[in-house]
Amino acid sequence: MTTPKDALALLVERDQDHECAGFGEAHVCVRVAAVANLPTRAGAFRLVGFWNNRDAKEHVAMVCGEVVGQEDVPVRLHSECLTGDVMGSLRCDCQDQLQEGLNAIQRAGRGVLLYLRQEGRGIGLLNKIRAYALQEEGLDTVEANLALGFRDDERDYAVAAHMLHSLDIKSVRLITNNPEKIRQLTQHGVKVAGRIPHIIPPNEHNRFYLETKARRSGHQLDPILLERLPEQSDPVVFADTPEASADR
Amino acid sequence: MKHPEQAPVLIVGAGIAGLSCARALADSGLAVKVLERARGVGGRCATRRMEGQPVDFGLAFFHGRSPDFLAALEEVPATRLPGWPITTTGGGRPCQAEAFTSGEHRLAFQEGVQAFPKYLARDLPIELQANLTGLEIHSNRIHLTLADGRAMESPIVVLALAPEQALAQLEPLAQFSQVASARAVLGLVRSQTCLTVRALYPAQAPVPSWDMLFPETSSILQVIAHDSAKRQAPAHQALVFQAHPAWSRRHMETPAWPGLLLQEAARLLGPWATCPLLAESHCWEYARSDRSAELAQPMLLELPGTTALGLCGDRFAPGGGVEAAWLSGKLMARRILARELP
Repeated sequence: MTTPKDALALLVERDQDHECAGFGEAHVCVRVAAVANLPTRAGAFRLVGFWNNRDAKEHVAMVCGEVVGQEDVPVRLHSECLTGDVMGSLRCDCQDQLQEGLNAIQRAGRGVLLYLRQEGRGIGLLNKIRAYALQEEGLDTVEANLALGFRDDERDYAVAAHMLHSLDIKSVRLITNNPEKIRQLTQHGVKVAGRIPHIIPPNEHNRFYLETKARRSGHQLDPILLERLPEQSDPVVFADTPEASADR
Repeated sequence: MKHPEQAPVLIVGAGIAGLSCARALADSGLAVKVLERARGVGGRCATRRMEGQPVDFGLAFFHGRSPDFLAALEEVPATRLPGWPITTTGGGRPCQAEAFTSGEHRLAFQEGVQAFPKYLARDLPIELQANLTGLEIHSNRIHLTLADGRAMESPIVVLALAPEQALAQLEPLAQFSQVASARAVLGLVRSQTCLTVRALYPAQAPVPSWDMLFPETSSILQVIAHDSAKRQAPAHQALVFQAHPAWSRRHMETPAWPGLLLQEAARLLGPWATCPLLAESHCWEYARSDRSAELAQPMLLELPGTTALGLCGDRFAPGGGVEAAWLSGKLMARRILARELP
C-alpha cells in the first residue's frame, strides 16, 4: 500500500546510505532522515527532515498530500527568518510569506514547502541584528547586506533542488513571483512545469507595508519605516495592488 | 581572453585571499598586479627557516571541507602530511575548534605551510615591500600612493587586508556612502591578536608525544605546536608557542612578553623549555577573529567613474581561516569578472 505516509517513510530507508556527487558548487548532498505528522494552523502536513553533508543546518520539507513520484507538484521555497517567521517582526514580511505559502499548498490540496535553514551564510542572526543596526544609522546597505549574509540564495537552490530530487518529485509548479528562482532551479535539474503567483492577501499585519510603501513614495522619513531588509528573495505582491492583478 | 591594453587590477595584500583573487583573475585572462608590504608572500600562512629548518609560525596546518579548496591544496607541489596534527592533547580550546569536527580535512606540508601561497603566487606579478599609504579617486581611476613615493592607478582595486588595515586605508574615501557602510561592516569584525614565539631546541631535548597541545590550565598559552614533527629527520626540535587573544592584547606592548611565554612553556613542559638554542618572536596583531564576527562574502563597492573597490579576506566567508580566505578571494574574483566580462 503506498499511502503518502508510507511513500515518505520509505525514503528514509532508501537514503540510509545515500551518497552522490552533490549539487551546486558546494557539492551538497542531502538525505531524507526523519518523517512525522505535523498538524498546523494552516492544516495537516507531513514534516520531512533532511541531513546534509556540508553543515549542521537541518533543512525540512512540509508536505501536503501525495507528492512522491508526482508531476506538477506545487512547491514553495522559504528561507528561514527567525525574526519574521517566529517573532512576527514588522521589519520584513516573512511571516506573511510563510503563512500564505502554507495556505496556498493547503488550498491546492497537495504540495511542498521547503523550509531552508540558512539565515545568512555565516552567523545569521547576529549579522541580521548588525544589519538592522546599520540601517538605523542610515547607511547604504546594499553591499553591507550581502556581506552580512542576505540575499544570497545561490546555495539554497542547490539544496532545494536536491531535496526535491530526494522527494522523487517529477516536476513542480513553483509558487513564486521571481523568474530567477525558476531559472536557478531549472539549472539544477528540476523540471519546472509552471508558476503559481505568490500573492499575499492584505491583512492587519501586512497593511503596515502598504502604508509604508505609500509613505515612502512621499519621501517621508521615519526611523521605523526604513528600507525593508529583503530576506526573502521574492518581491511581495499584495492582492489589492495593480502589480498583483497584472501578475494574475 | 586577453586584455593586454587594460590597466591591471591592483590587489593589495599577498596573503591567501589576495593571491587566490589574483590567481583566479589571471587564470581568466585579466591583467593583475599584487602589492605586498612584507618581504614574502603568504601573510599568516608563514614559514621561516631557523638554522635551515622550516618552522610554521602563523597557522600550523590547513583545514577545510570545501571540495574546491581541498583540490587547490592537492595541487601544491609539496610533501603532504594528511591528517596533521595526528595527535593532539590537552583540554584547552583550539583556536579553530571546527578544525577538529567531523567532515573536516586537515593537512600540513613537510616543506612548511608557506608552500601553498608560494605556489599560488608562482607566475603572478607581485611587488614585495610595497606599502600602501594613500587612496584617492579621480579621472575614473583609483589612485594608490606607496610609501616609497610611487603612484599607481587602476579602475579596480582590491584590498585583501585585515579589517582594521582596510578600515584605515578607506578613511580618505569615507565621503562615499558605499565606503561609509563598508567601513561600518569592517568595524564589526575586529581581530584578535596572537603573540607567538618559535623556539629551536637541541635534538636531545625531551620529545613531546603530541603534535599539538592545547593547555587546559593556562591563561597565557593557547597552543603549542610540535613543529619539528612535520619535518623529515629534523636537526633540531622546534616548538611554536601561541598565546591566548586576551593575554596577547594585554601584553603586546610589554617588551618582555617572549620571556613570559617561555616561562609559561616551562611550567607546562618542564624547565628545559626556558632555554632554547634559538628563539624568535612575532606579534600577529590581526591574527584572526572569533566566529561571532564573520561575514558571508566579499564586498565590491561601485564608486564614481565606474571604478570599483573590492574587500576580501578570511573574515569575508563563513568559517574563518585559510579556507575562508581562499574562498573569499575566489568569489571576489568572480564578482569582478562578472562585471568586467559580461
